[in-house]
Amino acid sequence: MCRKRWVLLVLGLSCARGLTGQDLPRLQARADSLAREWRHATAVADAIDSLERARVFVGHDTIRVGALTIVTNASPLPLREAAARVWPLIDSVYGDDARQLEERPYVIVPVDPDTSVERPPWHNGTEIPWDQDVTSLTLLLLSTVPIAPADTALQGWLGGPVRPLIHADLERADVYVRLVTAPSEASRRCLIGDIGACRDALDLFVRGDRVARWYPSARERRSLLKTFTPYYFDRGVQQPMLRACAEGSDSACTELLRSLPPGALPRPLSYDARATLLSDALRLGGRAAYHRLVASAGLPIADRLAAAGGMAIDSLLARWRAEILAARPVPVSLPPRGIWIALGWTILFAFCGLRSSRWRVS
Amino acid sequence: MFRVMLYSQWKWSRLIVLMGSVAGFALPLVSVHGAARADSSPLQAPELLHAVQSWGVLYPVLAATLGLLVAIASWTPDHRGRHVYALVLPVPRWRYVLLRFGAGALLLAAPITAVLLGALLATMSAAIPAGLQGYPVALAVRFALAVLVAFAVFFAVSAGTARTAGIVLALIGGVILVQVIANVARVDLDLVGKLQLVVLNWPGPLAIFTGRWMLIDV
Repeated sequence: MCRKRWVLLVLGLSCARGLTGQDLPRLQARADSLAREWRHATAVADAIDSLERARVFVGHDTIRVGALTIVTNASPLPLREAAARVWPLIDSVYGDDARQLEERPYVIVPVDPDTSVERPPWHNGTEIPWDQDVTSLTLLLLSTVPIAPADTALQGWLGGPVRPLIHADLERADVYVRLVTAPSEASRRCLIGDIGACRDALDLFVRGDRVARWYPSARERRSLLKTFTPYYFDRGVQQPMLRACAEGSDSACTELLRSLPPGALPRPLSYDARATLLSDALRLGGRAAYHRLVASAGLPIADRLAAAGGMAIDSLLARWRAEILAARPVPVSLPPRGIWIALGWTILFAFCGLRSSRWRVS
Repeated sequence: MFRVMLYSQWKWSRLIVLMGSVAGFALPLVSVHGAARADSSPLQAPELLHAVQSWGVLYPVLAATLGLLVAIASWTPDHRGRHVYALVLPVPRWRYVLLRFGAGALLLAAPITAVLLGALLATMSAAIPAGLQGYPVALAVRFALAVLVAFAVFFAVSAGTARTAGIVLALIGGVILVQVIANVARVDLDLVGKLQLVVLNWPGPLAIFTGRWMLIDV
């Protein structure tokens, strides 16, 4: 009985070893088969994509305004009118580089605005309901210019992609309000006329402590922590420090702000401020300005803006500041004819009082 | 005759006018109190704008209240006496109403002047941060127009008969009823919204009351 068990054990072990030896080649074969299937599926998907792309570009309308190219199919969308509005703005920002758009068209797929209607299953491009008006189409085209994206350093500084200003006057007016109300001494000194402070507020300095440059006073730092980042620090080991900061410890506030990851410290001025500065640089620098800006990747942002604008950065900042001050919003919301309109209503209602029938004998 | 009418209306509405003047004088001063001191802090501008904007809501409220109360006070004694006094006077009705209106409007000059003086004092006493400016005259002009419009509206309503008031109320009720029926029937009709736009947007009659009432702004 005991000998039988030993024989079975030896046989079992030998079988097991044999199985292990067979598994590796089998798994290898399976992996190879899977890779083959993957390559095949990828090839089929590529073929479908290329056919779809070909289908999109062949037999469809191509709208050209300047270098701006839109590939679309027949629909009531007022794309040509929108393109005519958009092109001068795009050309003014990208200059000579806007020629890229001849090779990088917008691909627009007009779809039925009725969402219950089935959409085309395969297509490349942006779906737009064909009942959109010219204004909304213009905004859409301006916010999705298919130009090669700028380098990450520029986009990181700007806080988004480089795009034409859609409502430049309104955006400058917003920047004015932000300069006045931002809880940062740098922005207020910029407003008064300190160009160095403008450089600080617009995040154009190369070296230095951002906390000290943007928020030099203890009250600003405490307010910033209270307003912008209270939940970020309200846990773990930083909770007691946040409490100490709220109770008036400036060292705790400063330490907490310095512990924020790079780029997380709230900037005094918004995207609009930097976008208006960039827009000024591109406008002043002429048609090659955007090209110079993109070509100077690797340099500090201030140097790149100066290169794009073709002038010293301080001169560029001074011009930007003058434009922002000129765009100061109208403070009192009474229209020019408001006085006459209100007086007119007063007279009309007074006349209604005169026409009352209270004394009439019935 | 105007002087007599003014005197009688002054007697009926002096409490309203005096209280309105005190409130109108105090409102601009209170709106900048605490936010604008000589020891200007780095965060003063947003705090000041916030305070001025919060208190600014009370200017149209005060204007409408003053217009309403003075208009009612102008007509209450006539209504109470069933217009006998007015009927025995040797003047046509249009002239009598015009005198009442003129006297009421003149009495409202007191709170308007109080708002102007308060606003001037507030902007002079406050340390206004760079980039901000005071607009006391613009605010007082706007307040004056709002008071006049409110007074004229309520004066016309008050001068009318119960039948006129009924017609006006029936019209408003009719619009609301149509809107409710349209909503129930799922008809795409926004009558109330359109009416609101017409009344509250320029050149609507109540547009003067809307918008931001800022004593200090950018």
